[in-house]
Amino acid sequence: MQILESVVSDFKAELQTITKTPDLLNLKAKFLGKQGPISEVMKNLKDATVEEKRLIGARANEVKTAIEELFSAKMQEIELQEINEKLSKDKVDISLTDSVLDLGLQAAGFHPVTLVQQEIEDIFISMGFEVLDGPHIEDEFHNFEALNIPATHPARDMQDTFWFADKKHLLRTHTSTIQVRGMLERKPPFRFVGPGKVFRCERTDASHEMVFHQLEGMMVGENISVGNLIYFMKTLLTEIFKKEVEVRLRPGFFPFVEPGFELDIRCLICGGKGCSVCKQVGWVELLPCGMVHPNVLRAGNIDPEKYNGFAFGLGLDRLVMMKYGIDDIRHLHSGDLRFNSQFKSF
Amino acid sequence: MLISLNWIKDFVNLPELSPKEISSRFTLATAEVEDVIVKNDFLKKVLVVEVKSMKPHPDSDKLNLVTINYGAAETKEIVCGAQNVAVGLKVPYAQNGTTLPNGMTLEPKKIRGVLSEGMLCSETELGMSAESAGLMILDPKATPGTTMGEYLQADTDVLLDVDNKSLTHRPDLWGHLGLAREFAAAFNLPLKNPYNDSWTKKIEGTLTTGAAPIKVEVDPASSCLAYYGLSLSNIEVGETPAWIKNRLEAVGLRSINSIVDISNYVMTELGLPNHIFDRNKIAGDTLFIKKLNAETEFVTLDETSRKLTDSDTVIADKEKNLVLAGIMGGASASVDSNTKNIFIEVANWDAPEVRKTSVRLGLRTDSSQRFEKTLDSNLCYRTLLRLVELIREVCPNAKIEGSVSRYVREDKLSRELTFNIAHSLINSRLGMDIESSRIQGIFESLDFKTTLANGVFTVVVPTYRTTKDIYCDADLVEEIGRMIGYDNIKPVSPVMGIKPVRLDQKKVFHRKIQDFLVNHAKSLQVMTYPLIGKDLLTQAMWPVMNDDLVLVNALSVDHDRMRPSAIPHAIEMSATNHKNYDQFSFFELGRSYAGFEKEKSQLVIGLFSKKKSRFVELENIVEKLLSSLNISFNFAAPSNKFKNELVPSEWAGVHPHEFQNVQIMGKFLGALTTVHPLVLKNFKMKGFLSLAVIDLTDLESREQKDKVKYTPIAKFPSSSCDFTIVMKQETPAAEVLAALKPLKVKELKEKCIVDVFSLNESEKTVTIRTTFSNEEKTLTSEEIKNFEAQVIQVLEKAGFFLRK
Repeated sequence: MQILESVVSDFKAELQTITKTPDLLNLKAKFLGKQGPISEVMKNLKDATVEEKRLIGARANEVKTAIEELFSAKMQEIELQEINEKLSKDKVDISLTDSVLDLGLQAAGFHPVTLVQQEIEDIFISMGFEVLDGPHIEDEFHNFEALNIPATHPARDMQDTFWFADKKHLLRTHTSTIQVRGMLERKPPFRFVGPGKVFRCERTDASHEMVFHQLEGMMVGENISVGNLIYFMKTLLTEIFKKEVEVRLRPGFFPFVEPGFELDIRCLICGGKGCSVCKQVGWVELLPCGMVHPNVLRAGNIDPEKYNGFAFGLGLDRLVMMKYGIDDIRHLHSGDLRFNSQFKSF
Repeated sequence: MLISLNWIKDFVNLPELSPKEISSRFTLATAEVEDVIVKNDFLKKVLVVEVKSMKPHPDSDKLNLVTINYGAAETKEIVCGAQNVAVGLKVPYAQNGTTLPNGMTLEPKKIRGVLSEGMLCSETELGMSAESAGLMILDPKATPGTTMGEYLQADTDVLLDVDNKSLTHRPDLWGHLGLAREFAAAFNLPLKNPYNDSWTKKIEGTLTTGAAPIKVEVDPASSCLAYYGLSLSNIEVGETPAWIKNRLEAVGLRSINSIVDISNYVMTELGLPNHIFDRNKIAGDTLFIKKLNAETEFVTLDETSRKLTDSDTVIADKEKNLVLAGIMGGASASVDSNTKNIFIEVANWDAPEVRKTSVRLGLRTDSSQRFEKTLDSNLCYRTLLRLVELIREVCPNAKIEGSVSRYVREDKLSRELTFNIAHSLINSRLGMDIESSRIQGIFESLDFKTTLANGVFTVVVPTYRTTKDIYCDADLVEEIGRMIGYDNIKPVSPVMGIKPVRLDQKKVFHRKIQDFLVNHAKSLQVMTYPLIGKDLLTQAMWPVMNDDLVLVNALSVDHDRMRPSAIPHAIEMSATNHKNYDQFSFFELGRSYAGFEKEKSQLVIGLFSKKKSRFVELENIVEKLLSSLNISFNFAAPSNKFKNELVPSEWAGVHPHEFQNVQIMGKFLGALTTVHPLVLKNFKMKGFLSLAVIDLTDLESREQKDKVKYTPIAKFPSSSCDFTIVMKQETPAAEVLAALKPLKVKELKEKCIVDVFSLNESEKTVTIRTTFSNEEKTLTSEEIKNFEAQVIQVLEKAGFFLRK
């Protein structure tokens, strides 16, 4: 009985010195094996009384369990230590991420025009507009005639058109050509937008480009009103600028709309009090729009007696430049990655 | 164009509003006012005063305290430092609150302890001369209290600057009378048009009859739509009256002499250009208005020799051409200071013809830009009478000679148009309920005679609005809308049917490509010009020049044609960027142009490194990109049989080894190459640039089907066997896998290369792994052995032998 009482403390003492699995297994054998102290006690038990047997047997089992628990705990400890030692040996330098390595330019991302264009496309999709496209090389019909700009119209002066040698083909001067194709391909009611590159024979400088981006929009149905146009523009611009935008229309002349408007927004910088951005008038000119001219509807095979609608054109580059504070429009087509990398996704 | 509000006030009593409020109303109703210029405004606050008495400043040797009479009962005391101040002098006095031309605003202030209310001024301080000694001394007869504006007869005026382009559609707004009508309508005020019937009768009364000294012959083939001519004698050309001069100068016209100034005044007032000849310089007694029918040189008034073509219309005498019709006169018959006898021409010319000639010659004049807008011939006669009235006012001795010559193309004369437009249509188009009386009022203020019956307006539009501006209902809706003010229309959502809308195939396809190339290929999207020049194509040694897609009016030779490929730009921009970065990846999703109606949607991907070729990386990107787009394809070696239009084999930039055709649906729709160093050398570029180009035109509009098909996960184990083959170093390792193609074993599920080991300079070993399985059972060892034997047999047949 006395022996049993000291076994656990003896085991504990020896356990302290063990660091390796084989030694631990040997120690376990020494205490719990056939020659071990517990076996000895059990062997000697055959001469004991029934009462003694019951007491000592139970005690022996308790001691055995205690030793086994101590053993497994130590076993786990040693195993963890051994794994950690191995991990230390195979250690990688976790500080060497791409960002600290000389891998050249690692930025990846979209062109800023793509970013803004997709955002606007998605706004229009959510309002039930399709998104259309068309060719860059156009003919006079799609670029001018179908848009109520006959050959003799002085409005052609406003369009600094790039012409090809055959004098029939030209580079589209506006995305309104998409309007014409859109109308001819569908029956009212419909609504769509057409973003894309347009071309103007214009000297380039920080705010003028010969190639830039527009987004044309058109809605045709029955009894569409100026009030509807204002509603759409206000909703669109509130979505784009992510805050309530106040708009106003004033007369503007564009041959393909009647009435035609210039749409101004209440200056977002000064809130309309007047500042250098809005030239002290409190309003900033943003986009031309209007009610589609009956001649344009006719050119699109639509009966102007039955249907009418509105159209608008948005200068995408200007929005991009406003959004990011870009100083020079020429960067957009430069392919200079010092510019493009600033709009990186990661 | 500059609008003088003083001039407008001849015809309408403008309300007492600030210049900003007036310009804002005009902007909302008619056309944008870009600038408001208040001219000589400060002179209203500078008064003529008389020095009543003076005494030295108690606290200064140089200053005086001057008591002035400024026209009021009381006097004022001013501190004055000028040496020439003396009792009895009349001098200018600027009151407190005046902003002088030097920008200084006068405020009450104490000068050495004495309060001074305003300032006595020198000419310099009034902005009238660069330097001056002391106070400006005025006429002793001047009345104290008069403003300096009145004293100097200086024009104090408000000028509105309106962009000409915004008036393109309004021929009636190119003169102040027409503009005044807009102001009258915008402010709902009556228009005072002095040129009414009784005025016409009055001036007509001064006309004469009888033979005219100059006859007019108009060729109907010319661009002439109307021609009125009248001769006057006893003209004295001299100084122009200040009121005419001031107005012309206000709107930006230089004063020349009294007759020329009257001509310009009437044009700016009534909107119709006119021409005055020195009659003595006309050879013979007839003017011929004709098409040239021959090419000729003509020296215009600006002393420039211009080449006229046969279709140009001129006014000529029997010897020479005098005027380029509707655009500019020549020097030979112009009015000068010695002119005694004149011939007045008031004509109208065909707008497209004037525009054609003017654009061709690059000569835009006050005259041509008005005629271009399609003017109303009906207004010629009124203009002629107004010229007569003013000339006789300025030259009272002028004598009219003979009757008025008149030619009018009746067939091309602008007519009144009558519209029947429903009240409900106007309201429905604008989206606003407007009372019929308001609508009628607006029409009438614009001089449209209007009646209303059964909800329908009958509107008669005058001839000067029907030349081209107003011809359909929408035009009338605009008149109401702009006068009501579009900002008064409330936004209303339209009622629309519900229709599902999604991005079309092509957009989805493009977005997928962009997303993949950014997120997987870690590249930057760029845009380059669709236009290109011969120099860059030559530098890139590109074999196609696109000579049939050259622009006639290119801005420079560097951008004079559509690009045949996006590759030259990709190389050029890489050359620029390699100065800043040792390695970069980019792509452009743009277009290339193979001809009219042959626009290609082209994708270029570029990987650059200064250290090593990234061709294999590019292959992997293209493989995964096409796979993500559900496009089945294979890489194919260069072929002599099939041409790859995207990277022509004759292009010097094609790499001898690092090249792959991309074959899709049997066609070469793409290519990958590392750009040959020879081409890079032309761009002073060192390093490795690998480019992939893919023609998306036929791919992007295909319907994207979800091709994923699930098969249950295999229930029976698979077995793998490795084979190590010895082969020549230069043979591509993947050819071993290609050699397994003839193997017809459906249990072969996978094959791949697990190791490549270099034996020596000429040989290497390639280890491949084949994996076999059957969906219905576990393969027996006999079956596996049989498969192995078949593999070896096929490999040996292809010339690949196992390592012994």
